[in-house]
Amino acid sequence: MSTTAPVRERTEEEEEIVEPDIPWVVIVWNDPINLMSYVVFVLQKLFGYSKEKATRLMLDIHHKGKAVVSSGPREKAEFDVYRLHGHGLWATMQKDR
Amino acid sequence: MAATFKRLGGNRVRVRLGLEEVALLRELPEQLRAVLADPTDDPVNERLFPPAYLEPDDLERDAEYRRLMHDELVQAKLDNLDVVTETLARGAPSIRRWTVDLTAEEAGAWLGTLNDLRLAMGVRLGITDDFDGEFDDADPKAPAMRLLAYLGWLEEHLLEALSA
Repeated sequence: MSTTAPVRERTEEEEEIVEPDIPWVVIVWNDPINLMSYVVFVLQKLFGYSKEKATRLMLDIHHKGKAVVSSGPREKAEFDVYRLHGHGLWATMQKDR
Repeated sequence: MAATFKRLGGNRVRVRLGLEEVALLRELPEQLRAVLADPTDDPVNERLFPPAYLEPDDLERDAEYRRLMHDELVQAKLDNLDVVTETLARGAPSIRRWTVDLTAEEAGAWLGTLNDLRLAMGVRLGITDDFDGEFDDADPKAPAMRLLAYLGWLEEHLLEALSA
């Protein structure tokens, strides 16, 4: 693929200031102790998900080892991770790619 | 296993416990308080307060998350433990039973504490495969496994009452 648009090189200063607008994803990992019913309960409570959606996510966590439970800007993702940690779920966050 | 949880109006929950269950729920929170108060790298604390970021590029962010959030997470767990201890203390005895009515918020604290106790026990027992309540009676860890299974049973019934 080629482009005819002029390419402007970013200066180092810009690199530091501009945080690229990449969404972050919040992942909950499977763990051997948390009850399936508890995981469903927490996902409904924290994110307002329907029982069906929360159950689907829980089954993904259980069978695939992990599932993305929310996404958004870094601050929101971090807040979600914080709330999940507060409820004993094994949650992490990373850039979506 | 004598405990029952019954949903009352206004999202309240009535808990009925056998006296031996009351004794257990008075003792276990003390053990978790001791772990939470210990600043060393106890594996239980590693499980209760996992990293938020795993990517090598995000190590600084994770340190910042820990710096800002760790104390709050610890305090929330301590608060839950206090609620369990305080609500148990206001329970009313009857013949071989102990009854206490919980507000929705207090029931949430009970749920959090039961879950934290189980997570801590799971680490102590080295459980890495999904725990379904089954264990070998000849295992030296059997008494602790029985306790873990009991706490899971308790948590499941509290969840049922909360979802009723």
